Amino acid sequence: MRLGVWRHFDIPLFLIILVLVLVGCLMVYSAYEASRPAVERSLWENVAFRQAFFAGIGLCFYLLMAAIDYRLLVRFWRWGYLAALGLLLLTRAAGSVSFGAQSWLRFEFFNVQASELCKVIMILTLARVLSGDHYDLNGALPLALSIALLVPPLILIYLQPDFGTALILGAIWAGMVVLAGVRWPHLLILGMIGAALAPLIWFRLEPYMQQRILHFFFPDSDPTGASYNVNQALISIGSGGWWGKGLFHGTQSQLQFLRVRHTDFIFSVLAEETGFVGASFLVILFILLILRLMRVARLAPDHDGRLIASGVAVMIFTQTFINIGMNANILPVTGLPLPLVSYGGSALVTLLLALGIVQSVAMRHKPPEEPLLPLGR
Amino acid sequence: MRSGSLWLRYALFQAVVFIAFGAILFRLWNLQIVSSAQYRLSADRNRFRLVPIDAPRGIIYDRDGRLLVRNVPSFSVSIVPGGLPQDPEERQRVLSRVGELLGMPVNDSETATTGEETILFLSGAHRPSITEILEKRASGPYTPVRIASNVDRQAAFILEEEHLDLPGVLVEADPLRHYTEGALMAHILGYMGRISQEELADYQARGYLPDDLVGVAGVERSEEEALRGTRGQKHIEVDAFERPVRVIASQEPVPGHNLFLTVDVELQRAVENALREGMRQAGSKVGVAIVMDPRTGEILAMVSLPSFDNNLFSGGISYEDFAALNEDPRHPLVNHAISGQYPPGSTFKIVTASAALESNVINRNTHIVCEGTYYVPNRFAPDDPTLAQPFRCWKESGHGSINVVTALAQSCNIFFGKVAGGFQDFPGLGVERLAAYAAMFGFGEPTGIGLPGEAAGLLPSDQWKRQHYGESWYTGDTYNAAIGQGFVLATPLQMLNAMAAIANGGHLYRPQIIYRAEDAQGDVVHMLQPELIRTLDISPQNMAIVREGLRQAAINGTAYGFWGFPIEVAGKTGTAEYYAVDEQGNLILDKKGRLPTHAWFAGFAPYNNPEIALVVFLEGGGEGSQRAVPVAVEIMRYYFGLPSPAPEPTPTATAVPTPEEMMTP
Repeated sequence: MRLGVWRHFDIPLFLIILVLVLVGCLMVYSAYEASRPAVERSLWENVAFRQAFFAGIGLCFYLLMAAIDYRLLVRFWRWGYLAALGLLLLTRAAGSVSFGAQSWLRFEFFNVQASELCKVIMILTLARVLSGDHYDLNGALPLALSIALLVPPLILIYLQPDFGTALILGAIWAGMVVLAGVRWPHLLILGMIGAALAPLIWFRLEPYMQQRILHFFFPDSDPTGASYNVNQALISIGSGGWWGKGLFHGTQSQLQFLRVRHTDFIFSVLAEETGFVGASFLVILFILLILRLMRVARLAPDHDGRLIASGVAVMIFTQTFINIGMNANILPVTGLPLPLVSYGGSALVTLLLALGIVQSVAMRHKPPEEPLLPLGR
Repeated sequence: MRSGSLWLRYALFQAVVFIAFGAILFRLWNLQIVSSAQYRLSADRNRFRLVPIDAPRGIIYDRDGRLLVRNVPSFSVSIVPGGLPQDPEERQRVLSRVGELLGMPVNDSETATTGEETILFLSGAHRPSITEILEKRASGPYTPVRIASNVDRQAAFILEEEHLDLPGVLVEADPLRHYTEGALMAHILGYMGRISQEELADYQARGYLPDDLVGVAGVERSEEEALRGTRGQKHIEVDAFERPVRVIASQEPVPGHNLFLTVDVELQRAVENALREGMRQAGSKVGVAIVMDPRTGEILAMVSLPSFDNNLFSGGISYEDFAALNEDPRHPLVNHAISGQYPPGSTFKIVTASAALESNVINRNTHIVCEGTYYVPNRFAPDDPTLAQPFRCWKESGHGSINVVTALAQSCNIFFGKVAGGFQDFPGLGVERLAAYAAMFGFGEPTGIGLPGEAAGLLPSDQWKRQHYGESWYTGDTYNAAIGQGFVLATPLQMLNAMAAIANGGHLYRPQIIYRAEDAQGDVVHMLQPELIRTLDISPQNMAIVREGLRQAAINGTAYGFWGFPIEVAGKTGTAEYYAVDEQGNLILDKKGRLPTHAWFAGFAPYNNPEIALVVFLEGGGEGSQRAVPVAVEIMRYYFGLPSPAPEPTPTATAVPTPEEMMTP
């Protein structure tokens, strides 16, 4: 590696990520630790410390990935893909059952969520397959290949069952297919096939998922009170007002009316304690992050790099939108964490790893005067 | 070409990003700015609770400060319906654990497990399940519903220890009344219990909660307002599991007033012992003895036997205990001192004597012949002796020509019958004037002692008899009324109060039981003041004549138990015939075919400066002079600190003169 590439280190991108990670640690602390009874426990049992610890590990991976030329990684996409599939199968075979989902692989220190890693590897794989540098995008082969590569992990993840991650995987694929430049007629045909399959998918859905979707569209159809979490999230967000109730002073979160608040509903904690100002600040941070990722895509030296940045942007966008949308009850409940902010070691580490790869792309960009794409001009 | 197409696609993606996040920001604006107040209200409703704080109930002492009632902790278990887990399985787990520890069924379908807990449901032996109680009594998701009171201490501790695993379950320590003297003071102090359904609305209007305990008998009821204090309340913040987190504001309760009764508990004990012994000797099942300070109307002792242990009621009486007390034919729950209405018999002659003297029907020197039996002529056929009604004196041979003093001392029936009903040319007092004077003495109306359940007694009149019997008033009725028989009914307390008015020279005081009340700071908020009901319209001279007769009774008259007593006692015996039926509905008569009699004595001492007045009543006790007087003697002896007499052959039923010799109405 030439030392010179670090001169092109995308500092704004890194800073946005850093701020989001710090906000995450702070909110995890507020959601879970701030009003926990002061019982003596090891540092490892402190959820906020763990989040910070994983953030540290994740940032190390980030820098490591930045240092490694992404083109080297992409070259090993087959091995990566097989490894990811193997991990998923291993999880399926021996994974411990937690929260009803077999998605955790127990390791010495922490659990690796294979599906999280799978998302990153899928981005690399699809970037390679769809970039057009290796297969002719005008033919149907890349598209068919991408579908063939997508379906096995998608099914495995869906069976765990992790509907949320499967959804994200599908979204990444769809986004990357569109942004890769697959021909519109192909996309149109694909869309029609998808529409035809939609009812089939609906009936294949787990009953709890159908219920959630139904309840979202017809709120009165759920009189049993399963909508408790969503109601409490709405109360949390709404009662925040302009400036919020103050950090660590959210009544909904500190008094535990808000459930699963350090993961799925962490946005509600933030919205309650820092108000509209804090919540919009976080939303704007995510917008900036996505725009910055798209800037990296635009400046990428090749289509592999462009699609890696695009895939990560699509992943972060969909996951963020689905999570906040669920918090604000404009989307049905899917158990998806908020990227970089929600508690969760493997999600945080793999996400930072993915962003490190994007940083790697950014550091190896072409001179600004000759961009790959005439984007934004 | 490809680049241009890609530019469009990225622009499209960028547009999707902006639209999506724009929608989120718009939504946030709506939630956090436009509807914020509404959500803030919901958030506050989630966490704030207004919790009542019960005021410590007032303590009750006797007049010398001896403790009679104290508050001891008792544990109760309540459930906050909204605090229970949402998940049905979790909810069932919590309820099962609670049911297991309390020995209560969880669901209606379960058969009741055996257990010794006392839940307050007097209506029947059915033991309601936890879910049933929750359904019936829940008034809101966050209002605790009490499912068990007086919970075993051990179970309460276990529940308290597991409270983190049992969201929505509250263990509370409530104060319980403990009556140090139990049955000795039960009729005076009364007891506490749940508010009955009939009274619920009334109590709620006065700020009570449906689960509150209130005084339902005795002083606990009559002084409820003073004892209860003022409930406080605290504004608390709770977490999602209804566990209190912090107190925002609290308004401390004001403890109830501490009461000092007029009763001297040691005198009460002595009175009870004397009465019990007297009842045993007389074979009487119900007895009353009351001691009063005639100068003020203070009740120094008031015993009604049989009594009951009022501690049984604290924390909920079991169905079996309550049924046993309630179905006892002697009515141990009834305070016969104020609720029992009996013919007063000869003790009533103090009224007849006073009335006749004050109405100038007789004077001190009016002598009337007692011939043993007098035939009261029929009003419509005065000359037909076959229609005449025999009126007998207890002394068959007659007292001869006697004046009012001797008549009182010897308790002559014919003297008072003639004085009231008239004979030959003697006009007599007449029932109207007799009733008027009796009313003046307080008969026919409650004395106003303030204890619940006081009876009014009965003063008959011509009009009353027409209404109730459809008959006119006969002269014979007047004869009977003059000696406290016939239709006259009085409570022992009324009899005592009339006697106290004679003792103190004509002041009829309202009997009082509360000597002093103090607030929690020890400041006296109420001090007994004698309350005059009325001054008797009887001249001191006439009063003195009556008193002289009562004194003579204790010197050489019917109250022979007091003959030679070191303290100058005055009093009046009474042996009142009454009608009673046995289980078969037959009139109860003795072997000689006579009606059974109540034994009475009412008196005061010392004669010249009376300190105490008392009444002794033995239901079906027989002769007043024979049965009631010895009880009075014992009480007087205790009061004046006299040593017990040298053990002489105890007068037993066989050793005393037979009723034939001693029939002393």
